[in-house]
Amino acid sequence: MKTLLSGVAAFAVAASLTPAAFAGGHKSYTIGVSNTVQGNGWREQMICAMRAQALVEGDVNNIIVAHRNTDSAGQLEDINNLIEAGVDAIVLNPSNPDALNSALEQAMAQDIVVVAVDAGVTAEGAYILSNNQEEYAYLGAKWLFEQLGGKGDVVYMRGIAGVSADTDRDNGFKRALEEFPDIKVVHEVFTGWQQDQGKQQMFDFLATGIPFDGVWTSGIDNVIVDVFTESGAPLVPIVGADNAGFVQYLTEVDGLKGAAVTNPGSVGGAGIALAVDILNGEAPDSKTVLVDPVLWENTTDDGVATISAAQNPNLDPEWPVSVTVPGWTDYTMEQIIACEGPGEG
Amino acid sequence: MSRFLRKHAWVSGLAALLVVLLIVTKLIQPSFGASGLESIARAALPFAFATAGMAVVVIVGGIDLSVASMMAVCAVTAAVLMERMAGIPALMIVLSLGLAMGLINGALIVLTRVPDIVVTLAMLFVWEGAALLILESPGGATADWLEHAIRGSFVFDGLPKALLVIALGIAIIWLPIRRTKLGLSIYATGSDERAAFRSGVAVGRTKIAAYAVCGLFCAMGGLSLAALTGIGEPVPGPYLMASVAAVVLGGVVLGGGKGGLLGPIIAVFILRIIRTILTLLAVDPNVTTIIEGTIMVAVVMLGTAASLRGARR
Repeated sequence: MKTLLSGVAAFAVAASLTPAAFAGGHKSYTIGVSNTVQGNGWREQMICAMRAQALVEGDVNNIIVAHRNTDSAGQLEDINNLIEAGVDAIVLNPSNPDALNSALEQAMAQDIVVVAVDAGVTAEGAYILSNNQEEYAYLGAKWLFEQLGGKGDVVYMRGIAGVSADTDRDNGFKRALEEFPDIKVVHEVFTGWQQDQGKQQMFDFLATGIPFDGVWTSGIDNVIVDVFTESGAPLVPIVGADNAGFVQYLTEVDGLKGAAVTNPGSVGGAGIALAVDILNGEAPDSKTVLVDPVLWENTTDDGVATISAAQNPNLDPEWPVSVTVPGWTDYTMEQIIACEGPGEG
Repeated sequence: MSRFLRKHAWVSGLAALLVVLLIVTKLIQPSFGASGLESIARAALPFAFATAGMAVVVIVGGIDLSVASMMAVCAVTAAVLMERMAGIPALMIVLSLGLAMGLINGALIVLTRVPDIVVTLAMLFVWEGAALLILESPGGATADWLEHAIRGSFVFDGLPKALLVIALGIAIIWLPIRRTKLGLSIYATGSDERAAFRSGVAVGRTKIAAYAVCGLFCAMGGLSLAALTGIGEPVPGPYLMASVAAVVLGGVVLGGGKGGLLGPIIAVFILRIIRTILTLLAVDPNVTTIIEGTIMVAVVMLGTAASLRGARR
């Protein structure tokens, strides 16, 4: 009985020391971040979005970033170190959906919130937040088909066969295609998400002389515009992603009608926002949260205004141009460019 | 006692440094305990075996740039086999595969007389391609007992099973070799190849054997990668540079002939715990690698200066 009592007393003391005891007051969370690709524009934007969002979230007073080029075993090490550091939540871009389960399960057993951004994990109880790739393709394809008046032939330039993002995008593209029965795909290729490969494929197809009215690309976009300007072929409407090069073309190339669909790396910032929501007891109903993309086109005045507002000479040219995720992130463009989190810098 | 310390000055120094770092970790994070030790030991697993393999070939006077690739081949082979057959035979196949790859590396170096750095650089790409042929993208599965063998503590908290696996795996292979003619030949060949040859050491065979031992350790490293992740990954991890770093930090002379395996293994733990400390301190990740490199150079410089002073006295 005596040990039981002292146990209860110890528990009470411990409970009074945890942040939860200050409910209603100012909470102070530490968030851990784990990422395994360093030096890639999209991933660097993701990391900066995480820091900026942590800075503007009032409840976060520290962010620990484990960010290096490594394999799954290295990411396991980083996650275990974050657990040792006593973080309240871990936001990670997983190197593999299955390889990290041992560490993630251990984290969740210690009531650490786990949010995977950009790609999923199979560990039960983890939240997954990623860009809605099906909607990405549907938005762009629908815009393209409407531009063509619902009738015409299009070239369909995909990414890498078998990669989940490509499969999801294909589903979205097919959904738009069903709504426009008079649109035909005259040519379908996999660019492998390689600039040079996609460019060559477009040159080859132009050489066949088969007529077409529009091009949908899975993000290999500015080089396709190059093909038209270099070969002198008349421009057709082109859909791409919000890569800096393509967005610039949308404002600069004469006669180019096009649309950029956002695929923001700042989804990382949304992951931080989601983790804080969950820590504050506002967990979403579903474990999987999809962020919907937006479409920027240059055929209306509103669209042109949106595109010029998004361009910023201080922005890293390797980054996607969309630096925020509407409805999720709260930081300013200056804050994400500064790339500083709370308790850092 | 003092004779022992003088004879093993470098290793004793490293051990002291490790203890200091453990205390620092405890001071930074008072809750650091058995589970922290366990996760460091698990993180050290693949590095320890890669380093042990590298140390053996460096002692014989060579270098093996293909360690990470051989580990990848063994990891994917283990993951593919264990999805289809019983764990123990699969384990045996993977260990023999590692041994065979090491034998091929060694035989190519000895028979073609092409410099070891060229042969193993070429084999880095060959084994990397082989791993991708076996498994195009990460996948497969590993036996449950393999994952449990490295998770948790043995007998009492604070003695991680992963640490035991490292100690046993290396001791079972290295201690018997070290005490036999082969061990002496490895050190003799590394110190002075011509002198060893004139004293009747079969230099070629010794080298091939050393590379084979390295392959065997790489197989253990690959198995530990599979055990950690539960899958096989065909793209090699960052184990080549890390193993060279630990070998140098561990007191093995890059020219060969001097050093043991205990120093490099302690060095592996030092490098892992430094990463833990930098994570606990929330140091900017871009600065982390700079600090890791600087600490390494500083330790080796201090160690060399200390041993030079000792030699002059």
